[in-house]
Amino acid sequence: MIMPGSAGETAGLLRRISRTPLSVMEVCGTHTVSIFRSGIRSLLPPTIRLVSGPGCPVCVTDQGEIDAAISLLEKGAIVVSYGDMFRVPCARGSLSSKRAEGYDSRIASGAMDALTVALENPEKEVVFLGVGFETTSPATAVLVEETAKRKVSNLSVLSFHKMTPPAVKLLAQDPELGLGGFLLPGHVSVILGHDPFAFLPRQFGLPAVIAGFEPDQILFGLAEIVRQHESGVSALRSVYSRAVRPEGNQKAKAALERVFEVRDATWRGLGVIPASGLTLGKKFRAFDAEVRFDITLSPGTPPPGCRCGEVLTGRITPPECPLFRTKCTPASPVGPCMVSSEGTCGAYFRFFKGDRS
Amino acid sequence: MTNDPITLGHGSGGRQSAELVSFLLESFRKRGIGPEMEDAAVIPGGYAFTVDGFTVSPRKFPGGDIGHLCVCGCANDLAVRGASPDFLGISLVIEEGFPKDEAAGYMESAAKTCGEIGMSLAAGDTKVVPVGGVEGLIMTGCAVGRIQTPSVLSSSNLQEGDSIIVTTSIGRHGAAIAASRFNLSVDGLESDCAPLWPALQPILAEKGLRCMRDCTRGGLGTVLCEWAEASGLHISLEEDAIPLNLQVRSLCDVLGFDPMYMACEGCAAIAVAPGCAEDIVRKLRESPLCTEATVIGRVLAGEPSGMVSLRTSIGGERLVDMPFGELLPRIC
Amino acid sequence: MCLAVPHTIHEILDENRALAVAGAVRTEIRTDLIDTPATGDTVLVHAGFAIEKLSLSDAEELIQLWDELRSLAGDDHAG
Repeated sequence: MIMPGSAGETAGLLRRISRTPLSVMEVCGTHTVSIFRSGIRSLLPPTIRLVSGPGCPVCVTDQGEIDAAISLLEKGAIVVSYGDMFRVPCARGSLSSKRAEGYDSRIASGAMDALTVALENPEKEVVFLGVGFETTSPATAVLVEETAKRKVSNLSVLSFHKMTPPAVKLLAQDPELGLGGFLLPGHVSVILGHDPFAFLPRQFGLPAVIAGFEPDQILFGLAEIVRQHESGVSALRSVYSRAVRPEGNQKAKAALERVFEVRDATWRGLGVIPASGLTLGKKFRAFDAEVRFDITLSPGTPPPGCRCGEVLTGRITPPECPLFRTKCTPASPVGPCMVSSEGTCGAYFRFFKGDRS
Repeated sequence: MTNDPITLGHGSGGRQSAELVSFLLESFRKRGIGPEMEDAAVIPGGYAFTVDGFTVSPRKFPGGDIGHLCVCGCANDLAVRGASPDFLGISLVIEEGFPKDEAAGYMESAAKTCGEIGMSLAAGDTKVVPVGGVEGLIMTGCAVGRIQTPSVLSSSNLQEGDSIIVTTSIGRHGAAIAASRFNLSVDGLESDCAPLWPALQPILAEKGLRCMRDCTRGGLGTVLCEWAEASGLHISLEEDAIPLNLQVRSLCDVLGFDPMYMACEGCAAIAVAPGCAEDIVRKLRESPLCTEATVIGRVLAGEPSGMVSLRTSIGGERLVDMPFGELLPRIC
Repeated sequence: MCLAVPHTIHEILDENRALAVAGAVRTEIRTDLIDTPATGDTVLVHAGFAIEKLSLSDAEELIQLWDELRSLAGDDHAG
């Protein structure tokens, strides 16, 4: 019985079967980091160009959205957010720098932490910053439903959740990018299942493979993309069957349906993508921070010279941005790609040998 | 650096801390009276000298408390420069309202640890500040000890071909603190906080001993990056060789942390000449604190110079940079 | 966007909560998003929620994919 092999074996196979140049987009920021951390790049043949996509929810959170969160801090609310968002800057600072100024921003490791904070601080308004894609939005949905059920009136949710397939579609249809395949996010697919990405082979003739985050998973996924490319076929396959069911997680999807409505969203660096964002539905208006605090979101303007948009869409690599490592470093990030630990520029800066000179 | 406020990130060890320190030391450096950038300074007369502030929260953690930490932190700074932990000075800054017995308890811990390693308290100072002046209590330790090595241990001794040894599994102190801070229950997780002098003293006479560092804030990764930067050499590590216990590994998995950057308080990095590593590792392992001592990498010449690289478990290669800012739990 | 860690369920606390273990870390997780959580189940946990039960072995499908890869690389099939 031949079992799927180890990372090393898979890398070897991949190098043997890859003959023609191929650009593969790995959509998910967690894939970006895992690829760098495990040194996969150093094992790939020169025929393969790995392009990092906009699947870093922190990176694509528009400055206007962070600005809105900061304005709530300044109104005296406690803002609870996942750690990933803490250092992302907008013109007025970040949740981290505002904490240094004495405002009350706090870190959650789980969505329900916000409810705990609200119950412990009944005299204050508490706002949960919902950021993330489909892996994360169901947790926010449960938080909203429980908050409503228990009538915790001092808690509200600021939802900047976004949807992955619309962004992937935008990139798939861009002829300039010349993408030949997609490595799809394993945990988003746990929720969504196979169907939402089936347009990649069906409509665009592009190989698309769902993979988990361990190096052997990523290499197996990449190898399958290369196999399809070299064989002139395209299909949606999954190498993460231990976690991803083809129909996805129905309970999670149902929670999303009950709680959220789809709206247009501004993706930092990509502009407005129609029907790509989630906002609280009418039934939960009372717990929507945008309603409660009368917030109007205005898209932020990128800082001068910032080319995060081109990095996020894989048009340029970080070293091709003139600000990379000069004005834009983890110490003083200009754009979100450098701030987030899984932003492409942050990852390149920390892990990549190739461009250090 | 502009007039931005100093943040907690500046205190976390790693690149931001290095920049803050550099900024604050400008006044001394430009007058030519700035410090060596080692864990303890070598001062005339054959002594090593160090100062270290302790603000750990929670003040009591699995494996120790702030008093024990104060003594270990200072004594280990001396030990890695080959100096015995002879004399300690303690400054206490206490917030009004702090329970007297709790403060005495930390001094008891400190005294007990001093007794175990032959260190005496030679000087002390106590200040009380109004509520809000500090959070509870902070302890600063200042220590001096006689250097026992035939020559000065310093990063300037590093050479191509040297082996890098780590004395124990990494990241235990940082993991213990993080578990407490982010409310995680981790079976068997304890800080590694311990005085290293008894374990390091037996190797001080070894010919091939180049230099040592106490891995504290910023973890093993920071120390090795500092060595690489200071020497301009390339340090190459084997991921699979780095000792890491289940407790730290699982905490890091759950919170999204990198164990290379988790603080240690009883772990030293040691650089030794080629051919000497085996003997030194064997001697280290005789101490109960260093049973997992092992070679984790080598010093090389060539590119990438001034940097640390890691050969990963799957046979790939990537850089290890200094961590940036506070380690914060991730969901992405 | 996807940091999720396998945990084993040690105890069901109520209809929405369970005690789970990942390595040496014990934590309380929410089980609202999965069906019939049971002691002994291995689940993927993200942001404090179990988002799926993990099956322990790779499916036939993966073995077949691996086969196809090897065949393209020109490897011989073995028993």
